[in-house]
Amino acid sequence: MSASALTVAEAGKRRRGVRRTAITLGIIAAVFYVGFIAMMIWRATR
Amino acid sequence: MAYNDHAATAHDHDAHDHKPHGWRRWVYATNHKDIGTMYLVFAGISFFIGGSMAMLIRLELFKPGLQFLDPQFFNSMTTMHALEMIFGAVMPAWTGLANWMIPMQVGAPDMALPRLNNFSFWILPFAFTLLLASLFVPGGGPAGGWTMYPPLMLQGGASFPMTIFAIHMMGISSILGAINVVVTIMNLRAPGMTLLRMPLFVWTWLITAYLLIAVMPVLAGAVTMLLTDHFFGTTFFTAAGGGDPVMYQHIFWFFGHPEVYILILPAFGVVSEIIPTFSRKPLFGYEAMVYATASIAFLSFIVWAHHMFTVGMPLAGQLFFMLSTMLIAIPTGVKVFNWTATMYKGSLSFEPPMLFALSFLFLFTIGGLSGLMLAIVPADYQYQDTYFVVAHFHYVLVPGAVFAIMGGVYYWLPKWTGNMYDLTLAKWHFWLSTIFVNVLFFPQHFLGLAGMPRRIPDYAVQFTDWNQVSSIGGFAFGLSQFLFPYIIWKCVRGGVRIGNRAWEGAHGLEWELPSPPPFHSWTDPPSDALIQRGSAH
Repeated sequence: MSASALTVAEAGKRRRGVRRTAITLGIIAAVFYVGFIAMMIWRATR
Repeated sequence: MAYNDHAATAHDHDAHDHKPHGWRRWVYATNHKDIGTMYLVFAGISFFIGGSMAMLIRLELFKPGLQFLDPQFFNSMTTMHALEMIFGAVMPAWTGLANWMIPMQVGAPDMALPRLNNFSFWILPFAFTLLLASLFVPGGGPAGGWTMYPPLMLQGGASFPMTIFAIHMMGISSILGAINVVVTIMNLRAPGMTLLRMPLFVWTWLITAYLLIAVMPVLAGAVTMLLTDHFFGTTFFTAAGGGDPVMYQHIFWFFGHPEVYILILPAFGVVSEIIPTFSRKPLFGYEAMVYATASIAFLSFIVWAHHMFTVGMPLAGQLFFMLSTMLIAIPTGVKVFNWTATMYKGSLSFEPPMLFALSFLFLFTIGGLSGLMLAIVPADYQYQDTYFVVAHFHYVLVPGAVFAIMGGVYYWLPKWTGNMYDLTLAKWHFWLSTIFVNVLFFPQHFLGLAGMPRRIPDYAVQFTDWNQVSSIGGFAFGLSQFLFPYIIWKCVRGGVRIGNRAWEGAHGLEWELPSPPPFHSWTDPPSDALIQRGSAH
């Protein structure tokens, strides 16, 4: 198994990338999920 | 020899190979392989629960008249069978395979969000316990079909809110799993693993994950509207209050059609891994496969109303949805052509994964062709709600998705365990499954064309013969599936030791790791040379 270790800078960049993508997708999914239901409640109470 | 034994390569145990033991290993699991295993075991259990419901359905339909089940319970069985198989068996099986394989294939140590991974798995047993428990409450289980159309669904008893809550939990689990997959692929790929060097299984899962994030909230919204119609006096789908039951069908199928591709796209990925390996050739048209997968995913959002041509819609609408549905045949045809072209002049061998992949290729294509027939509006008016539709989607989902899952398990099982499984028994499993899946589902085309409606416990006597053939096929198919867990169990316990590369034609980073792989897959990213060797396309 041939492998090459990540440098500290690369590992840090990777961690930031994970955090950024996870938060972005989490927000999109939550907005979709809650948004649909909120829109439905709003339409029902109009 | 069809596979490489231990002598081919030495094991290389990773220094970080320490892991928790006992129940804590599973309950607090954050390791992608452990969570993948739990998903796969969960999917297997659901497959047998859902399968036993199918056996009850086929038992009741063995002859006309009511034999064993009362009609309400029969309807519950059709509903629960579908929910179990779609959300409990096929989707978790794909997530299990994704958990096992994606980090190994992209050169990552684990999934990017391991604790979220644990959470998204452990939601599932609770969701399905709730769903199955709904069979035992007053009024019986949900009986409105997996599509949950109002007004029928709104007439459900105590099982109704339990079903809705269970679906919310499954949806949340799927979304969290999908986020994890996207974050892992986008961020933890080894340096040098560019997008167009990724294995097809990773590509198909990336696209599937985006589909999941986009459509599961739509299902959540639809079932929540059902819930508020039932309990909070809204009238979204009640005509008497100004609502429209057809609107539910539009919303449901806006989720439902992409859902079909969520079930089948990873199958395309697995087959695209298996066929090159056993053809000993690179995949023909790798980039075309990627673009075809993306095209299918895009088209899945603009075809939903082909599920509901008979509700009455403007001619322009019918034409649009008919033609857009037919367009899907183009990227799908590209895939079938490329798999066939991969085999052309290849050095083929027929181990169990390849057999399942070939069966997938033939039988999924039959399901695709009957889908094209259903896309034709005037013809669909005849086929709607008949057994022809049942035959169509079972051809897509059983020899399609389920066979691809089995092929994938047979392909990667030696890597997971370090042992080769009993190839003879696995071939028996393949032949029994392939023969009897056709005995089970092919006659349903004839029944549908002759006018037998779906979701009924009783039928006119002229449908008896083909129903009996179908039921015999069903029982034999069901029984033959017990071979699958037995073969896996036997392999986990021991067998011929194999080296890193279980199959001589296999390419990809997972085959560079020891078999079984270390607890953390790639603690250090693989070198560029390894990545280049792995991406043989």
